[in-house]
Amino acid sequence: MSRFFRKADDSDSDSESSSEEELMSSDDEAPKAAASTTKPAMSRFLRSAGDDSDSESESESESEEESMSEDEEKGKKKSRFLRTEDSDEESDEDEGKRVVKSARDKRLEEMEASGKQMDNALKINDWVAISNEFDKLVRMVQRQQNLAEPVPPFYLRQLQTLESSLNAALAKEKEAKKKMNASNARALTAMKQKVKKVMKEYEIDLKKFQEDPEAFEREFNASVSTEVPAAKPKKKKAVDEEDEGDEEFKTVGKGGKSYQFTPETILKNLQAVQEARGKKNTDRAEQIRILEKLLEVAVTSYQQIRVLLALISARFDYNSSVSSYMPIELWTSAQKEVDQLVGILVRNPKYAIQETTEDYDELVERSPETEKDAIVLVRGSIISFVDRLDDEFTKSLQHIDPHGTEYVDRLKDEKSLYCTICRAQTLYEQTKQDDPLGRVIMRRLEHIYSKPDAVVQALESAVSASDIKPSITFSQSSTKQLIHSLCIHLYKSGNSLLRTRAMLSHIYHYALHNDFHTARDMLLMSHLQESVHSADVATQILYNRTVVQVGLSAFRVGLIRESQQILQDIFATQRVKELLAQGVHQRYQVLTPEQEKAERQRQLPFHMHINTELLEAAFLVSSMLVEIPLLASIENEEQKRKTISKSFRRLLDFADRQVFTGPPESTRDHIMQASRALQDGEWEKCRDLVQGIKIWSLMPEAASVKEMLTKRIQEEGLRTYLFTYAPHYSTLSLSLLSRTFSLPLRGVTSIVSKMIWNEELSASLDHATGVLVFHRVEVMRSHQLAQVLADKLNTMVEQNEKALDQKLGNAANWNDRGDGQKGDKRGEQTQERRRGGERRGGVRGGARGGRGARFAQGLGSQMPGAQRNRG
Amino acid sequence: MAEYDLTQTIIPYCDRHLVFPLLAHLAESELFPVGQVQAAQYELAKGTNMVDYAVSLFEQLHPDEEVPPEFVGKRESALSTNERLQQEAQDVLNVIENPEVAQALRQDKNQNLQYLKEHYNVTLEQINALYNFGQFQYTYGNYSGAADYLYHFRVLSTDPDLTLSAHWGKLACDILTGKWDIALEELNTLREVVDSRSPSHPAFSTGTSPADPALTQLHSRTWLLHWSLFVYYNHREGRTLLLETFLSPAYLNTIQTSCPWVLRYLAAAAVLSRKASSTSGSSVSSRVRHSIREVVKIIQMEEYQYQDPITSFLRELYVEFDFEAAQRELSKAEHVVGNDFFLSEFKDDFLDNARYLISEAYCRIHQRIDIADLSERLNLSRDEGEKWVVNLIRETRMGSDAKIDLGKNVIEINRPPQPIYQTVIEKTRGLAFRTQALGAAMARTQGVHSEQPAVVEAAR
Repeated sequence: MSRFFRKADDSDSDSESSSEEELMSSDDEAPKAAASTTKPAMSRFLRSAGDDSDSESESESESEEESMSEDEEKGKKKSRFLRTEDSDEESDEDEGKRVVKSARDKRLEEMEASGKQMDNALKINDWVAISNEFDKLVRMVQRQQNLAEPVPPFYLRQLQTLESSLNAALAKEKEAKKKMNASNARALTAMKQKVKKVMKEYEIDLKKFQEDPEAFEREFNASVSTEVPAAKPKKKKAVDEEDEGDEEFKTVGKGGKSYQFTPETILKNLQAVQEARGKKNTDRAEQIRILEKLLEVAVTSYQQIRVLLALISARFDYNSSVSSYMPIELWTSAQKEVDQLVGILVRNPKYAIQETTEDYDELVERSPETEKDAIVLVRGSIISFVDRLDDEFTKSLQHIDPHGTEYVDRLKDEKSLYCTICRAQTLYEQTKQDDPLGRVIMRRLEHIYSKPDAVVQALESAVSASDIKPSITFSQSSTKQLIHSLCIHLYKSGNSLLRTRAMLSHIYHYALHNDFHTARDMLLMSHLQESVHSADVATQILYNRTVVQVGLSAFRVGLIRESQQILQDIFATQRVKELLAQGVHQRYQVLTPEQEKAERQRQLPFHMHINTELLEAAFLVSSMLVEIPLLASIENEEQKRKTISKSFRRLLDFADRQVFTGPPESTRDHIMQASRALQDGEWEKCRDLVQGIKIWSLMPEAASVKEMLTKRIQEEGLRTYLFTYAPHYSTLSLSLLSRTFSLPLRGVTSIVSKMIWNEELSASLDHATGVLVFHRVEVMRSHQLAQVLADKLNTMVEQNEKALDQKLGNAANWNDRGDGQKGDKRGEQTQERRRGGERRGGVRGGARGGRGARFAQGLGSQMPGAQRNRG
Repeated sequence: MAEYDLTQTIIPYCDRHLVFPLLAHLAESELFPVGQVQAAQYELAKGTNMVDYAVSLFEQLHPDEEVPPEFVGKRESALSTNERLQQEAQDVLNVIENPEVAQALRQDKNQNLQYLKEHYNVTLEQINALYNFGQFQYTYGNYSGAADYLYHFRVLSTDPDLTLSAHWGKLACDILTGKWDIALEELNTLREVVDSRSPSHPAFSTGTSPADPALTQLHSRTWLLHWSLFVYYNHREGRTLLLETFLSPAYLNTIQTSCPWVLRYLAAAAVLSRKASSTSGSSVSSRVRHSIREVVKIIQMEEYQYQDPITSFLRELYVEFDFEAAQRELSKAEHVVGNDFFLSEFKDDFLDNARYLISEAYCRIHQRIDIADLSERLNLSRDEGEKWVVNLIRETRMGSDAKIDLGKNVIEINRPPQPIYQTVIEKTRGLAFRTQALGAAMARTQGVHSEQPAVVEAAR
């Protein structure tokens, strides 16, 4: 028995969906539909005969109308209709499939049918069947509601009977437990839950129904019949205009034929589309098309706003996969629509979009006059649209090959995106919403902070050309000003993340403009290096970028030592690309696919990259200038001193081991050979090699940088020469040195004096004869060893202190003895500040603070953690 | 030389009354047209209650014009206010000056208030009257009186803001009356108050609201730095103390962030205290002893923000080792020092010390020095130079290394290299202590974490 029923069920559900697909007309048959609601519920088998006749008569008129439609469609449809011709034979195997009826009519019948089956099942106490039927019923009713049709009284009645019989069954069950089998019992309890839930859902309707079933039914019928004639007149031409209301319908959209939407139905249609959003079978492209049409007919601002909101979200929905980016046409139209939306809102201050509003009836047209505050609030969020647009833009850039023209084309869209962001900013300035305003300004800042002036000017000129302008524009003379005012705004906002990011962008911008001192001071004063570990990964990336840019700016202004120290941190990790989010490459760690995916999503688009080769060149050259004289001095004292740059030293050792050195090809080759030349005192060769590096052309002000490098090479060459060859001379003429290194005599004297003063060179000047007199110190073996031992002791104590520091955390400056033992041990802040001026001792001091480790730990330790959270 | 004058930069950080001496000095030094300075003085006085002074200034400025009538009214109202405030304050003062009361007063301010209220019916409002009167007296220039009242007020009051304000007022009074010892004391207490105000520097993320304690502290410190110049450049041991204070990390940072021009005074103090450092008594801390090195570092670092002949002198001497340039800068610095309000007193001293510094560096680098050349470096004539060099050799420790060869007119310097054992001793000195500190810290940390402050103390 139950099997039979279930089979019927199955076919039912099939037919249900298929029949819905086939529904062509509904409202032409409205009167009939109204009639059929009152039809007594029949079992499917009984009904089919009568229905078929219906469909037959129907089909003829249908096919006529259909003939106007597209060929392809027609063919498809025709065949179906043709099939109906001989429906009598088919009806038994394929019942319901060809039944062409009003949608509502049909649904009601189906409901009633399943109601009937439930009654039957009740009689035999088959709860499994009841449960299935009930599920179906609930589904149907829900769909009904999606179309904003009232709840059929039949359904409520059914609910009531179900509940009572459920109670009865439960009571019976308690008395005689053995009677029911396991699956049945399970179904019973499940039913209980379901009914309870559903009852709650329809509480109000149920109550109304209980009070006066008659009246309720009458009301229902009335609403059904009134709705239909109202809709009828305007839908004469098109056969299938109800389709947009029916989300299950897929074969719509006849090419040239336009839908006829009228302003009155927009909201209703809109709601139908919204209901369908996110459902499995929804055709997103279709929805977008419908919404576009709706937008065309929308008249009032309210309608426009509502449709635009839906349309933009629909566009964003179109591409659901995380890995691929939004199609560019869609993105462009979404961007235009956001523009339009913002335009409407700016022009009509009476309308506002907010993320949370009081509930309002979605179907009622609203205008400022009808609202109590004279402002129409619509639910939605422009900031999320802007965010999404921006994110999608970045995502597309991540996926497009940066070396193709497509990338460049895509990049051109940035201008319009930037305009959109600025428009949104205007809107929020007007409505004084601080939180989204901050976010929008941050977006804007992110588009310009790393760009050279010319690009920013181009972007800004586009903004000033548009009709809606934010308060902060480029009119204030320079990009610096612009960035400054944007950042000031963000500093004042309450969001600490935004503040941090604004700060970093600001510093980056200063660094980009070679304002090294300001950038450094801001970076140190922000105390970010202490807290950046706990920041999110994006901020850490920004931090790394900023630090690197500060290092580059130090290089450009000729502060070699500073530059070397700053860049050292990031190069010591050997993961430069990864830390700057400019490439994924893990040599040592194996990532799970999720981690890798997350990593890829973080990558910066190519045009934002800091050229790593240039970065490396800057780092290696500055390392060379710092390290080579140091190396030379080490050999003097015949002891291994702490190396300043391990990575440079490693490269140099490697280059030394080469049996044959060919002409330099890569940047590294150039620098390594230059280093050798510098070691040998051939500063001219060194200069030529360094200047021969091609990558310098990417650096702004390349000529002045090269000039600066030449000067440094001369100076460091002199120092190296003195260190290396001092043992071979007892006196050395200053004028000879000056000639050899093409330095003015005063410069030579100054450098030599400095070395003597700092006790790097045991020599003194003889003013009368103009020579440098060396004092040779013969060091005995035991002396030497004693010195080495003393140094080792020193390092050991320092290591111990460092270890304890780490254990206690930097906060507890247990060893900050102020001026007692080591005058130069101060709070971290001064140490950082002094970093610039300090010599070798300072370098060690700086390293003690753990700055070197910071990069390594920064992203490295953070990333797995973050991903774990995500996963 | 006017371009190196710092008066204008400093004025915003001084109290109105503290500016009078600055302007008076300007009038004397004749860097600026007298008329302008007088006009500035008049504008300054107009804002105070020193009506008579303002009037006299006005007469000086505009000899032919009638004195504006509002001064008469102002004078009268000032007198009446004075009368009224004095009345109010007198009551309290009577009570306080009563020896019985003075004995009964204790450390605890609340208890004192209670006591006064119970026995003499003195309320908080009445005590505030002391403050008001003191402040009023200050505005018309009765600084010593004001200092008295503010002192009494501070002893009694519990209101932290007013007490702080009274602190500042008292310091200003002491400075203006020239009681440098008391002023120094006052300065130190004020510094403590300012330093203790915000215990922790908040990270960047915790907000920059207008009432940010870190920011207020920075402001207070900036002010304190400027005010302390008055004290430090007048007190006997001021220069050493100045180095001590200004080189402490907190104030060094303040200088670097908000007022780099104070570097001039820091540099000057470093030069001036050379003697203190060269005698290397155990009383001076290493901070002072190495002050020049420290100051040079900072000057180098802040070069992009601030430089003047004094700082450039140090930079040329110790960074570039360009003695000619240093000498040029020194001659410029001489003028600057002579015209500076704070430094003018120390002009000769400064010059003297600067010469020492030059010759010291010169001698360390050179093996054989032509006396004529050295004299030229020091801006001295040949005879003077010789005398100077002899003195130098006698005074400094190079005595044993340097010999004058009058035949060739040169100084020969033979400095034997430092023996190895000494370098080893140098290097290992302090290691034992540091290890000990380590051990102590380890022992403490094994206890509770909250004991960490105690560890810090122990390590020190």
